[in-house]
Parts: sequence; C-alpha cells; structure tokens
Amino acid sequence: MKILLEKSAFDIETYLKNGGYEALKKALSMKREDIIEEVKKSNLRGRGGAGFPCGLKWSFIPKTEGPKYLVCNSDESEPGTFKDREIIHKNPHSLIEGMAIAAYAIGAQTGYIYIRGEFARETRIIEKSLAEARSKNFLGSGILGRNFSFDIKVVRGAGAYICGEETALLESIEGKKGQPRLKPPFPAVKGLYQCPTVINNVETLASVPYIVLHGGSAYASIGVGKSAGTKLFSVSGPVKKPGVYEIELGMPFKKFFEEELGGMREGEKLKAVIVGGSSVPVLTAQEAMAANLDYESLQQAGTMLGSGGMIIIPERQCMVEALFILARFYHHESCGQCTPCREGTGWIEKLMKKILEGKGASEDVDNILSISENMMGRTICPLADALAMPAISFIKKFEHEFNAHIKGNCNLCRK
Amino acid sequence: MPKIKIDGKEYEALEGETILQAAQRNGIYIPRYCYHPALSVAGNCRMCLVEIEKMPKLQISCSTAAQDGMVILTQSEKVKKARQDILEFLLINHPVDCPICDQAGECYLQDYYMDYGLHKSRFKMSDKIRREKRIQIGDYLTLDRERCILCTRCVRFCEEVTKTNELFVAQRGDHSFIDIKPGEKLNNPYSLNIADICPVGAFTSSDFRFRKRVWFLKTEESVCLGCATGCRIKVQYDENTVYRIMTSPNEHTNTWLCDAGRMTYKELYAEKRLRKIKIDGQEQQGKGLSAVYDKVSQKNPEKTAVILSPYLSVEDNMALYLFARHALKSCRIFLPQLKDRKISDGILRNCEPAANAAAMEIFAKVFSIEIFNPEKAGEFDFVITCKKTADRLHLEKEGLYFSLEDCGLEGILIPIKSYFETKGTFINWKNRAAVTSPAVKNENKFEVWRVLSELASLYGSNLPFENLSELEEICKKEILDGHTH
Ligand SMILES: Cc1cc2nc3c(=O)[nH]c(=O)nc-3n(C[C@H](O)[C@H](O)[C@H](O)COP(=O)(O)O)c2cc1C
Ligand code: SF4
Ligand code: SF4
Ligand code: SF4
Ligand code: FES
Repeated sequence: MKILLEKSAFDIETYLKNGGYEALKKALSMKREDIIEEVKKSNLRGRGGAGFPCGLKWSFIPKTEGPKYLVCNSDESEPGTFKDREIIHKNPHSLIEGMAIAAYAIGAQTGYIYIRGEFARETRIIEKSLAEARSKNFLGSGILGRNFSFDIKVVRGAGAYICGEETALLESIEGKKGQPRLKPPFPAVKGLYQCPTVINNVETLASVPYIVLHGGSAYASIGVGKSAGTKLFSVSGPVKKPGVYEIELGMPFKKFFEEELGGMREGEKLKAVIVGGSSVPVLTAQEAMAANLDYESLQQAGTMLGSGGMIIIPERQCMVEALFILARFYHHESCGQCTPCREGTGWIEKLMKKILEGKGASEDVDNILSISENMMGRTICPLADALAMPAISFIKKFEHEFNAHIKGNCNLCRK
Repeated sequence: MPKIKIDGKEYEALEGETILQAAQRNGIYIPRYCYHPALSVAGNCRMCLVEIEKMPKLQISCSTAAQDGMVILTQSEKVKKARQDILEFLLINHPVDCPICDQAGECYLQDYYMDYGLHKSRFKMSDKIRREKRIQIGDYLTLDRERCILCTRCVRFCEEVTKTNELFVAQRGDHSFIDIKPGEKLNNPYSLNIADICPVGAFTSSDFRFRKRVWFLKTEESVCLGCATGCRIKVQYDENTVYRIMTSPNEHTNTWLCDAGRMTYKELYAEKRLRKIKIDGQEQQGKGLSAVYDKVSQKNPEKTAVILSPYLSVEDNMALYLFARHALKSCRIFLPQLKDRKISDGILRNCEPAANAAAMEIFAKVFSIEIFNPEKAGEFDFVITCKKTADRLHLEKEGLYFSLEDCGLEGILIPIKSYFETKGTFINWKNRAAVTSPAVKNENKFEVWRVLSELASLYGSNLPFENLSELEEICKKEILDGHTH
C-alpha cells in the first residue's frame, strides 16, 4: 500500500480532487490534544534519520502562551538520500497540509521550510504550492474560517550537510553559522529564536494528513510492530530499476530487491548494501538478504533504517575507495566544534588516502578502527558517529579488500 | 538539594549546579578546556567527559546538571581513556613548539598531557595542518593559529563580557581558525584577559612575550590602583623586576582586569621616572631633605595649602594630615573634588580614576576637611600634595610635590616609591580596604610618610608615630575601623 506517492498531484486542483486538505478540515474541528494523541497512536516515527516518535515530540511543546515554531527539515543532504525531493515533486501539498495540521496541533503560528540550497527547482515548486494554498486559505490568517492563522516561509540552505542537523538548521535560519547546539535545552523547549519548536522531516510531515483522516490506528496497522506505516527508499546503484519507492515497513530486503528493484543490472553482482543513507553501517549482501526493511530488523542486523537512502554496492566497487569517499565527505562537512569530530574525520581521511594510494600499513587500518571508537558517542551531534560507524563496518566486513590495498594488489581499483 | 555520588562518595549539589561545578566545589577537579566559570557553556572540547551510571555514553560534566541520585565516576578507566583520546585528538594538528611557546609552563595542553596523556604519537608530523603564526591581532595580543584548540573561550569573551564581538571561528572542521572581522583590531579595553583565558599558547600577551619564563615568576597578591574599582591583582616578578599583572579573581571586586590596569606597572620603568629630589629644577645630591626643609620653612604656613591625595595610600595621607597639623600648624588642609564612584562601562572601569577616593571622603568626615576650590588657588603661595592631584586640579603653583615622574611643576619634586615598591592601604569604591604588597624594592626612592615624618622633626615637632606600623595603627583607629570592610 502507498500513501505518499499513491497519487501524484502537482497542482492544488488535482490534490483537491484526490481528496486533499480534507484532513486539514477534519483536524481544525478536532481538539489539539486529540490530534497529538492520534499521531502518537499511529506510531509514526521521524523519517529524517533518527526515527524519533513523532507524536511524542509534538507533545513536548509546552502549552504556554507565546510564539512557537514548526520547522520542516528539507535539507536532504545525506549521500544516497533523495526521497524528500520526490515528495516535493509529486505531492507538494501533502507536505503543506501536514505542516498546517502539525502547526495547529502544537500551536505554531509560523512555519519554515528549510530547503537544501541545491534544490532550486524544488524551491520553485514549494513557492508555487504555498501560493496556491494561500489562495485557498489553507494558509494565512483565519484558516478555513477558524480562529487559526499559520503561514510558511521558505529558507534556502547554502550547501552545508551539517545544516540538516536540526539545531544547526535553526542556527542557519537565524542567520548564524550552521553549527549544532548543545542539548539540552531541546528545541521543544528552546528552539528557533529561543521559542518552543518542532522540527520534522518532509516525509514525516507529509504522512500526517493520512493519519488524521483515517485515524492513528489505521496507520499503525500498516507495517510491522513498532515500525508503522510506509517508508520511502531512494535507491541508487547498478540495480535494474533505481529510483524512489514507497513500501510498507517490514518488507524483506530480498523481496524489495528482487521484485521492486528488479535485481542487479546485467553483469553486476551485489556485494553490499547501505540501507539508510551514508551514515549507517554497511551490510554485506548476505546480511542484507536476511534482513527486513523496518527499524527493529535493521537494528538487529547491526545497522539502521536512517533516512532510507539505499546505496547498492556492486562487486566491482572497491570498498577502500568507497570508504575514502565517505571519509572525505564527513571530513569536509564536520562543523569543527567538537574535538573528536574535527580532528578525527580529517585523520581518518588522511589514513584512508594513504591506504587507497597503496602507501598504507596494517597499523593504519587498526588506527582507523581505534580513531573511530574514540570519536563515537563523544560529540555534540552524531556526525562523528556517522563516519565512525560506517568506517568500522567497512573495515570489519571487507578487511580482505583493505589488506589487498596494503599489499598493493587490489584488482578492483580503477587506478 | 540534589544528592549525588562522585567516585563513591556522597555530596550535595547546589540547585542548578553542573556536575563539574559540584565536583569542583567539593575538591574534585575535572579537566576542561572550553569551560570557563565566567563564560557561557560551549561544550565543544569534550575534555570533561565523565561516566554516569545508567547512561551508556559518557557525558560532558560542564553542561550536565547534577541531578538527584546521579552516580558519577570521574576516574574510571573509561573516563581516563576518553581524556587520553581527546588529548590525542587535540595534539595531532598541534605544532607542539613548546620550546618557543610563551605559554609553556602554564599551558593546559602540557599540564593535562602529563596528567592524562602520556601517549605515543601515531600521527605523521608531515600531515599536520599548518596555520598562520605570530599575528599581531591587537596592540596587546599576539595570535598563533597553529596552537589554537578552538575552545572558543576568546570568542565568547568578546561576545559576552566586552560585547564587542570582534572574534569568530572562520571556516569549518579542521580548517577552522580564529579570525577577526576584516579591518578590525582586537583592541577592546579588556583584551589582555583573552591571553589569560586562552588555555594554550594561541593568544599570548605581546607585552609579556619572551621576557620571562613563567616558572621563574613569583607572585604577590595586591590591588590595582588604576581606578577606584580596586581590582585584586597578582603582581608577578623575578629578581626585583615586575613582569606582568594578572587578575586575582574574587567575588567582591573582579573576575577580569582592564588593560590599562595591567599596564600600571609600567610606571616603575618609565623613562621619565624622577631620579632624585629636585628643587627649582636642580637635582639634589645626597639625601636632600634638609634643602627641602630650608625651602619649605621659608614659606608662610598661612598661605600654604596641604591637599590630601586620592592617589596616595591612607597612611601617606594620614602622615600628610599630621604633618600639616603638627609641623605647619597654621596651614589650610583640603582634599580635591571627587568624581562619582561608579562603573563607567558596565564591566570594571570606574568613573573615578583615583584608587583612594573613598578614603578621601572618610578623611573629610573624620577631620572635617573641606574641598579645594581651584578658583581660590590665588589665596595660596605654596601647595603640598602629590603630582597626580596637582594635575587633576590643574595646579601650576610653586609647591612640594610627591611624584613618580619628572615633570615641569615648580618648586620641590620628591621621587617617591610606587606602590609596587611599598605598602599602602587603599579603599575602593565599595569601601573595601586593601593593602598593596610590594613585589620589588627601590632604595633610591622615598616613602611619602617617612619624608613627612623627617621633615616634621626638622620643624622640631615629632609626628605621633615612630614607624609604619604605628602609623598604620593610627589609620586603623581613625579611618578604617567602622568605615570600611
Ligand atoms: C549531520 C546530520 C544531518 C542531518 N540531515 C538531515 C536532513 O538532511 N534531513 C532531515 O530530515 N534530517 C536530517 N537530520 C536529522 C535531524 O537532525 C532531525 O533528527 C530530523 O530532522 C527530525 O525530524 P524527524 O523526527 O521527522 O525525522 C540530520 C542529522 C544529522 C546529525
Ligand atoms: S560532531 Fe562534528 S558536526 Fe557535530 S557538532 Fe561536533 S564537530 Fe560539529
Ligand atoms: S585562541 Fe585560545 S581561547 Fe581562542 S579558541 Fe583558540 S585556544 Fe581557545
Ligand atoms: S578596572 Fe580599574 S582597578 Fe580594575 S584592573 Fe582596570 S584599572 Fe585596575
Ligand atoms: S569543558 Fe566540558 S566540553 Fe569542554
């Protein structure tokens, strides 16, 4: 079953014909607490990567007077992840409707969509859709004749991956350097401009109208166990049909791979899979084939669902080169506040470069492992872990390729 | 109040205290770089990680609130390992140029390396990131970007204390460096505090750089005489030379020091420092006090104004007062007009530039002394006061002036000891008394009180004290007791 990509609606008329904004109408006749209750019941978890329960996050917003903000995280910069873009392309109003409902539920008057700077076309789509929604009074003051006013501003990023981290994102909206904040206080208490703020991913917010319209338990019944609902996966790599897929959580990877993706392209063999964006540990083909695509099963397999940015790695790809590319990325994107991340990411990149160039020794590999351990869980935001975890998994699972590089006989490299 | 356990012992934390603060208050030191008690918490260095029971990850103690029931370990193997790892990270791109670093000896990288590091380097020297060194970023400060550990104390100081916002972290990741806004200089009036709070040799004092290795320095606790605020200071010296003034943080007067205050020690080495007694422009050979007597005694006391000085100590002013009463007898005694004693810049600098202004008010009250009116200066032929007071009153009259420096004042100039060279009590704007403690000796200069006592004997009238401690006793009874704390 599909929710987000079931029917595409590029303009508001089509969206309305598809039953759009009915959920908002229904929500505005509900009590705020009841909406939050339904979202809790739905078991909807954050789709930005961390998987935090959405309803619970909303319930942290204090019921006090004063400004509150809703922020949509549309920074989508994690390597391998391009699923929010699909929602913006195919169903932009589901996001706007979801935001209006969320704003009503938490009592926010102003919303922000923080959009990845490179998304120029997507920004135009959002702007156009916002104008449409305003013209029908789904945004603006006194929405649908109710005592509820809400509008959305668009802020464009400038190319920094770290600005996808929710508190760096807030700094960036405030016009400051994009650097994660120390927590606590959490954004629900002190967020944008020091006011209570909810930050949700595009996909999370776009899932909300369905929940309001059909009820939390209807959504919860989709998927498996605590992994409720549908999830988008953006699939890249040499499979027959790469692209963005919406599936019910819990689908076995094997089924997804074979039936949806059509397996590998001719002449390619599956070696490894990064299931949830570049920040999660890699799975070998065998591990992937045994796993199901849901939060719990992937955790059991030693990785994470993450953002759903699935990278399919073929046999011909040198894993040393792949890890080097990751290390270079995280080194480049570290904001540099925390000692372990600032120094560790650069160090790992240097060692990886050495190994890649055939100048490495086995102690360099050991050092990457211990540097990774020393970075993990000791920083302000998880960016350090986002390099450390993949690094450890790459080395542990593909040690022979690292050894080959050290001996100077990697036959996969395109050097 | 939250009850916590640190390393097996129970303590009570204060409401709102962090683990680091609670530990420190109870004598347990947790290493830190970015944390500074007078600045906001940045939590970026990760040196202060501790283990807390039931929490899988180590937590930074500088920002984690001490909560009831917490069981904290600051010495576990996990914590020690974390500290060593953080130090290793901090040092990989550090130049470790200690032999030519002025911070050596008071550097937190060196200290913690000895306490928690002692690891073998596994980073290639040639891989180190090079950065700019020796940047003259302000009149008093030199910046070495290579040694910076990016703790942002300096940035926060400029944002939160001086609110001048000159500094920021430019770039990202390990390309980051401390930078100053284009076209600006780091010249706020408190800039030297940055050299103090920088935990490493990145910011150093251009004034102090390379003049002395810090381990040779000895320290005297004293009080700054740069203005009426009366900040507590540490005078650091070696072999009879003062090298620098450091802050002596305390809850009553100051955390920081202003740059002007730190530079007051320069009076000791001023080129213009008065060498010998000068009478009518002539340097006197020998001690010269009888020549002084010869000149002063010719003046008509009734046309002489003795003006107490807010720049001199309580004891010296008392001696001046007693000299006027007992030796000159029929002269008039005044004090100068004082300014409002309040903080002028929201930080430390006082509107009243004289360190002992509050003492003047007590003298006025106790001895019913009136304020000198410069417009009526014509009533007098001769003045006795100190040079700074003369300047303050724009006096251009013949007189006897106690002075540190040579100047064009007419009459007699007596070269006095600086209060870095002699003891004296000063009462700050909040009526808090403090005594300067001499860090260096200067036998060629005079103490004001002694000069006056000796002159008085030449007049044939002994002042009611034989030595400094008897004078101090008088001051205590007449001025300090009941008026100061
Ligand atoms: C380095 C880093 C980058 C991130 N980038 C994104 C991103 O591009 N988009 C996103 O939705 N969440 C991103 N996140 C996760 C956000 O911090 C946050 O958890 C999320 O926006 C919350 O929304 P959700 O609960 O709806 O998932 C990132 C986190 C980190 C640490
Ligand atoms: S972990 Fe890295 S990216 Fe995150 S706050 Fe620390 S230095 Fe910045
Ligand atoms: S210059 Fe000193 S105080 Fe400033 S960030 Fe660097 S180490 Fe910290
Ligand atoms: S504020 Fe006044 S007392 Fe304090 S250091 Fe500066 S000059 Fe000295
Ligand atoms: S002192 Fe706690 S993180 Fe720096």
